[in-house]
Parts: sequence; C-alpha cells; structure tokens
Amino acid sequence: MSENNLHNEQKLLNLLEKKFILKGGSVRRERRVEVKVEPKEIVPVLLYAKENSGYTAFTHMSCVDWIEDGEFEVVYILWHPEEKINFFVKTRVSRDNGTLPNIDFIWRQANTYEREIREMFGIQFEGLVGREEFILEDWEHMPPMRRDFDTAKFVEKTYFYRPGREDAKDVREYVQERTDEELPDFAKKYSRD
Amino acid sequence: MREKSTTLYIGPQHPGITGNMMVKLQVEGDTIVKAETHVGYLHRGFEKLMERRNWLQSFTIVCRICVPEPDPNEENYSRAVEEIEGREVPERAKYIRVMTLELARIATYLLWYGGQSGSAGLLTMGQWSVGDRNYILDLFEDLTGGRVYHMYIWPGGVRRDLPEGFKEKALRTMDYLEKRLDDYDKLLFENSIFQKRAKGVGIIDKNKAIEWGVVGPPLRGCGIQSDVRKDDPYEVYDKLDFEVPAMEGGDVWTRALVRRFEIRQSINLVRQVLDKMPGGEYYNKIPNPHKWTIPAGDAFVKTESARGEFGYYMVSDGGNKPRRVHVKGPAYVHGITLLENLLVGENVADVSFIMNSLGTCPPEIER
Repeated sequence: MSENNLHNEQKLLNLLEKKFILKGGSVRRERRVEVKVEPKEIVPVLLYAKENSGYTAFTHMSCVDWIEDGEFEVVYILWHPEEKINFFVKTRVSRDNGTLPNIDFIWRQANTYEREIREMFGIQFEGLVGREEFILEDWEHMPPMRRDFDTAKFVEKTYFYRPGREDAKDVREYVQERTDEELPDFAKKYSRD
Repeated sequence: MREKSTTLYIGPQHPGITGNMMVKLQVEGDTIVKAETHVGYLHRGFEKLMERRNWLQSFTIVCRICVPEPDPNEENYSRAVEEIEGREVPERAKYIRVMTLELARIATYLLWYGGQSGSAGLLTMGQWSVGDRNYILDLFEDLTGGRVYHMYIWPGGVRRDLPEGFKEKALRTMDYLEKRLDDYDKLLFENSIFQKRAKGVGIIDKNKAIEWGVVGPPLRGCGIQSDVRKDDPYEVYDKLDFEVPAMEGGDVWTRALVRRFEIRQSINLVRQVLDKMPGGEYYNKIPNPHKWTIPAGDAFVKTESARGEFGYYMVSDGGNKPRRVHVKGPAYVHGITLLENLLVGENVADVSFIMNSLGTCPPEIER
C-alpha cells in the first residue's frame, strides 16, 4: 500500500496530534488508525472524532487484562462510514479501582459494553446508569474475566459432582491406572504456564 | 382514562424468542410502554475458555457461538490470527472461504424465512424454507463432514479441498433454490397478511441508524448502503461482482425485501466463485499446534454475516494461547439498545416479529 493511499488515515492522526496530548499513534494498515491516550482524554478525543471528523459509528469496545503490568487496556473502536476507516482509541487504567469516564451520552449502545466490562473486569465507569446485573446473577466473587480468576478452581469449589459421578476424572488417569503406564501430557509439556 | 399498566415476561423459554433471552415488557392494554432485555441464560464463557486453550483448540470453540451461521466466526477467528501472525493464505482457499460464507448466508436466510413468517402465524413458509435449507446442509456435509458446525475455515486456509463432483452438485442446488425463491415470493411477499403485519412496523430512524450502531440488513433497510464486503473487503470479495441493495423505509417490510434480494445475490456469488476458483494449494500448513506461538499484537477483523457486521478483536501476547478474543456480534446492539427502543409503542403481538426482523441472536450477546 503506497503512502498516497493512506492519506485519509494520516489526516486524522495529524489532526489529533495537534489537538490532543497523545501517548502514541500510528496508521496500522489501510483502514486502521490507532491512538493511545490517558483516561481523562477519552471523552474529548471520542467527541472530536464523532462531531468533527465524521467517525459517527461506534463499532466495538473491548478490555484486555495485562495482569503483569497491573493494568487493564480498554479499546474503543469507531468507524467512518464515508472514508471507511476503523479508528482505535486505547487507554490504560489500573487493575485496582480503575475508573473510566462514561461515554453512553455519546453513543447509547456503549452503555451495554460498559455494563459488561464493569461486571466482567471490575472497571467502574463514572456516572454509568443501568441495571446492575447484565449477564451474571447474584455474583459475589471476583469479576470472572480477570486473568487471576481460575475457572477450574472455582468450579471445583462451588459445584459438586452429580450423585453417582463422584469419580468423574480425566480419562487419561483411568488409562494410566489400568495399564500402569506413564502417558505423556503434551498440553502440559509445551504449555508456557 | 389511563389504562392499567401490566408487566409481561416474554422468554427465556418462548417459541417467539429467537434463543434464550427474556424481554420484560411494561404494557398498557396491548401497547408496549417500556421494554428491557435480560440475558444470562446462555452464558458459556467462550472468551474465557479461549484464554486457556491453544490457538488451534480455540478455533474449535468459536463456531459454537452462533448456531444458525457459524462460519463467519471461523472466518473471523482465522483471519485475525493470520493478520497478527502475517500468515499467507492460498488464493484457492480464499475462494473456498467465500463460497462457504455465501452458502452459510443462504442457509441463514432460509432459516430467517421460517422465523419471520412463523412469528406472523404463517407456518407453511417455514416448512418449505427449512426443508430447502437441508440441501445447503447436504453441501456442507460433503464439504466439511458437519452439517451445522463445520470447523472448516481454519488459520492458514481451509481444512479440505472440494470433494469430487462438489461443483456440479452445488450448481444444481443453486439452480433449484433460485426456482424455489419464486414460490417463496408467492407464499410470503404476495401474502396480504404478511404485508399488513410488516409494513410500518418496527421503524428505525434513518438519520439515527448509524449512530445507534445498526448494521446489516436492518441498516440497508433504512436506505443506507453499507456492507463490510464492499466497505472493508476481505478474502476475494473485491474481485467479485455484486451490488449492495438499500431500500427506504426502515420497517420490517423493507428489511425482508433486502434479505429477499440478498439471497438471490448470494446464489449468484456462489456461481461466480465456483467459476473463477483457481487451482493450487488450499492450506498453508501451521506448525505443531502445541508449539505454535503467535507474535504479540492485536487485530480487529470484520465479516458481513447474514445478520450484519460480525467482528473479532483479538490480542496475542506472543504465547501459544490467545490473550483475549472478544466477539462482536450484531445482536449485541440489535438485541439490547435497539430492540428496547423499537418496541416502545408497538403491539405485544409484534415483539417476536420485530426480533426476527432484526436477527436477534442471544449467543452473540453473552459469548
């Protein structure tokens, strides 16, 4: 892809660089522009993109747990219906008591995304109004999409085996018992954990 | 005199609801004054499961996210992995992928015919179209071994080449379906019951549609030409000849007309793809799946599914498992914020009619 064809992508990046303090920004490829900002810049950048630059469609919002950095990365993905460009706005908040501004006054469907992220990761959104429970009902444990939430351990602790199925275990263990043979566990052998 | 207000719960188990979710309605008489979508009956934690499985094991999970149309999930997953890794896909595989996606689109629309007409009380249509859908599933069985879940489009290409005689069989099926569509028109679109039920019901405001996050046939039914296959072309869609239909109106009727047009277009696309398909390799082999690591990075890829824009946001930390896979289905917006707003002022009897026209699919809301 030549430089010339990425003109629209670069234009947005130059405008934002002049107007806001960015922590980073790049044209990833054709139709993909990315900027990184502080949480307090989220609302101004998104509003500017919607009102002044034509990024009127809110496509997606996602959250990634970077447990080793002690941070969550929240990604807002916008779409320009005329220039056909996806615009990524990324920000990072602390894993402990991380708070982000609420953006459902800009796009009302963001309300659903924010409610899910609040429930699944534990990030609070200032002024977010909406039903407390989205998917989980009466959940009292750690938000389950956090990396340190161990699904297998939770299941072992919370649920019991159906009567008559108490001995349910890995089929490989049965084979090992019967044949008295050590079977290789490939998944464990090559796992990075 | 103000009528007494009543709370009605439709779902989570209800023949009119497209899956397991609940719509809580506040009604006065039989007019809806408030609607709330409640989900949580179907949460299987796919995204969490994928974080604990390697790249190939995760691929077998993604098709389970949507029963009527699993292929966009597979294609999105594979393309996201390929984009982060920089893996080349053989040209033939791209053509086979497009064919699979278009066959899946036809199958989904045939199922939609059943749902849309069934929710209006026209039950014959569903018997016909779901019966004809089986011919597409037959093709899938020949091609992939599976009728509903295919696990066919995987990173690097597709799992198998076309079997012998597949092209002829597929073309015969397309000819048959094209003829059947005329019968469908007589049964559904020329039916005055359907016309009266569909016209002027569930109107989406054209000026707000993009801002509200409407995608796919509902957006094109508002008169806005928007299709990921044209706007952000993937695979070989830029080499194929097709149009994006758009019709003014924004109601259930125009959404149905858009789908009626698109199913014919998909038949045409399948023919084009089978005609233009080059020879050669169909798979760029991946390394040992246990040792297969993907460089750190992220990607957002999109597909035009039968219900609208389907997206995957994928992050890799350089390991042998995904760091995060976030699925964005059209129902995430259509089934919650849009549905809650559209239902206000409508009749209780139109709830499932409108839901079907939006293509609401609860498994996409709670992955």
